[in-house]
Amino acid sequence: MAELAVDKHVKYILAVEKNKDSFESVVMDHLRMNGAYWGLTALDLLGKLDSVNVDEVISWILKCQHESGGFSGNIGHDPHILYTLSAVQVLALFNKLDVLDIDKVATYITGLQNEDGSFSGDMWGEVDTRFSYIAICCLSILCCLGKINVEKAVSYILSCKNLDGGFGCTPGGESHAGQIFCCVGALALTGSLHYVDKDLLGWWLCERQVKSGGLNGRPEKLPDVCYSWWVLSSLIMIDRVHWIDKEKLVKFILDCQDVENGGISDRPDDAVDVYHTYFGVAGLSLLNYPGLKAIDPAYALPVDVVNRIFFSG
Amino acid sequence: MDLLNQLETILESDPLIDEVGLIHPSQFITLSKECSESSNSSADGAFRPANTKFWNRDHKLGISTEILLPVCKAAKSAFMDAMEQYKTHSDLSVNKHEDKNMVYPSSSCQSFESEVMKHSRALLLLSCDLGTAWNARKLVVSKKQQLPMFTDELHLSALVLSYSHKSEQAWSHRRWVIKMIAGKYSNLQQIIAKESELVEKIAERSKMNYRAWNHRCWLVSYMTREQMLYELKKSRDWAGLHVADNSCFHYRRRLMLGISENKQGDDPSYDVENYQVVKEELDLNEALIKRYIGREALWLHRRFLSLCLIRHWMTTTDGISCHSTSMANEINIFLDKELCLLDPCSTIQDMEFEDFEAQAIYSTMYFLWLIKQIPEFRKIELQEKLKAGNLKNILHKTCPERSFLWDVLEL
Repeated sequence: MAELAVDKHVKYILAVEKNKDSFESVVMDHLRMNGAYWGLTALDLLGKLDSVNVDEVISWILKCQHESGGFSGNIGHDPHILYTLSAVQVLALFNKLDVLDIDKVATYITGLQNEDGSFSGDMWGEVDTRFSYIAICCLSILCCLGKINVEKAVSYILSCKNLDGGFGCTPGGESHAGQIFCCVGALALTGSLHYVDKDLLGWWLCERQVKSGGLNGRPEKLPDVCYSWWVLSSLIMIDRVHWIDKEKLVKFILDCQDVENGGISDRPDDAVDVYHTYFGVAGLSLLNYPGLKAIDPAYALPVDVVNRIFFSG
Repeated sequence: MDLLNQLETILESDPLIDEVGLIHPSQFITLSKECSESSNSSADGAFRPANTKFWNRDHKLGISTEILLPVCKAAKSAFMDAMEQYKTHSDLSVNKHEDKNMVYPSSSCQSFESEVMKHSRALLLLSCDLGTAWNARKLVVSKKQQLPMFTDELHLSALVLSYSHKSEQAWSHRRWVIKMIAGKYSNLQQIIAKESELVEKIAERSKMNYRAWNHRCWLVSYMTREQMLYELKKSRDWAGLHVADNSCFHYRRRLMLGISENKQGDDPSYDVENYQVVKEELDLNEALIKRYIGREALWLHRRFLSLCLIRHWMTTTDGISCHSTSMANEINIFLDKELCLLDPCSTIQDMEFEDFEAQAIYSTMYFLWLIKQIPEFRKIELQEKLKAGNLKNILHKTCPERSFLWDVLEL
């Protein structure tokens, strides 16, 4: 079986940042904050976070913060909860949470909670269980979860549960592995996993594994490396990870590598990108692949980073 | 004229453009030839064979892949500049308002607004998930509160969706507009009907599109019972033609749940109708399962339908002791029927075709799942049936990797 091409992937991630003149990079420019989180977390898991200039990253992140406390995907764009979590996560990676005015960020997030407990992504009001996870994860990292109404937040998430055990974006929305990760993650972080029928949800999740060993995100879909993260982390959180064939999944992820130029794609032989590179590496980390740092399935941050937040100082 | 200007001029001169696409430079020649054959006069002003950057005819817009990067960059920088000016100006006018002696010319404000609208439109056609550009439009439109402007937004969003079917921002923008105009300007029921049609049109071209169907599911919470029943009827044929599209079946599940939850008073005729709806769907599902071998979405749909039916029997007869035997009977008859369906499905008729193998796996898993969902007290009797049905052996044979699920059932 092929091995993880660690050095190639590190080189690829560092190069992505420099390539700014393709159409793809121009249309992705507005979510650079997410890109930074994917790339830098992958680097950290690979043990190579020291190859980036910390000060450069931090000063750029701070330029993306708005008066409201929220962060945008890049300088000059509007703030959104999606980028706010990525900014906080990257600062946590570098042990630089102290540069933040924590109250200000917390006020932004708290202000996005709606009467029914749900969260809007920004001032324009789109509601999604992804935003519930983000709010809860972000405030947990900042150690001020008590600033929102946790009880209502949990009950909204539970209202998005389907008869198949999965979760959707809003009540009645179709189950989707990405949404399930968000809901299970939020429930885990709030100590509410006892509301989940673990066998029923685990059943749905383990049925995502297809013949090739890869995981899909919904029934009848092709496997995709990113679900190695969404499905696997959910299975770990509900203690059902032994319900899938881990060896086959490791092989599937390794088959999606570009062993020559680095990077991981969604499926074997497709074009690589930083998003799938991160999720591939993170998936392998969850599968205890040798040489990788362990990642926390709920915080989506390396375990040592999470420990540092809660057990130091 | 620079590229951005050209694009914006086309968009302004033809507001009815309803489809955008990318064209490879070599396709311009083919398109020109086709057009000179079909249109025999020079009366058609939209026909510009000399232009190999943009194609605009019959309210369709084609953009050359060659100019994508420069025009996208130009649009972005023009939009960012316009937005900057617009914001500075709005800040100023807010401050000036406080100073009552000053009157700020509203015309300049309008020109900034129209710049923002013009450039964001061009930009979004090229980079559809740029939230900041959608937000800028929301800002301008919400200040104006005019119905034609809201309608324009629905049009632009549909235009973006015509080539980028999964654009989360474009779908989200629609929901924002609908929430703004619902009840105020337009008939909500009419909007819902139109939206539902749009999703169907897009779903036809983009299979298993989560965002599109999610939008349709969102509409359900605004529907009347009649509308839900109508939608269920309307999407029936589509579902039959797209048996792998789990999203469409989920939409039907959403409608059925909506119908069953929608009870005005204690009208018992609703219960009968709800039961009928599920029963009919179950019959349709069985027909499809037999016609299309090995479709996961169909078997998952059946899990839901069977569970609904069993729950229906349990709630309608709950607490009335003389009825509990009839409930047990109903469930027993149902399970017998399901076992009959399972029997031929779970035998792999032909090893050469994966479909039969898949059918065996899905049917076995379906039945196991159902057992899990049936309350404890039914299990003893069921176990007898299962012995006869030899389900455990089938499970080990068809999907040994899921054999552990047998233990989950705790039989």
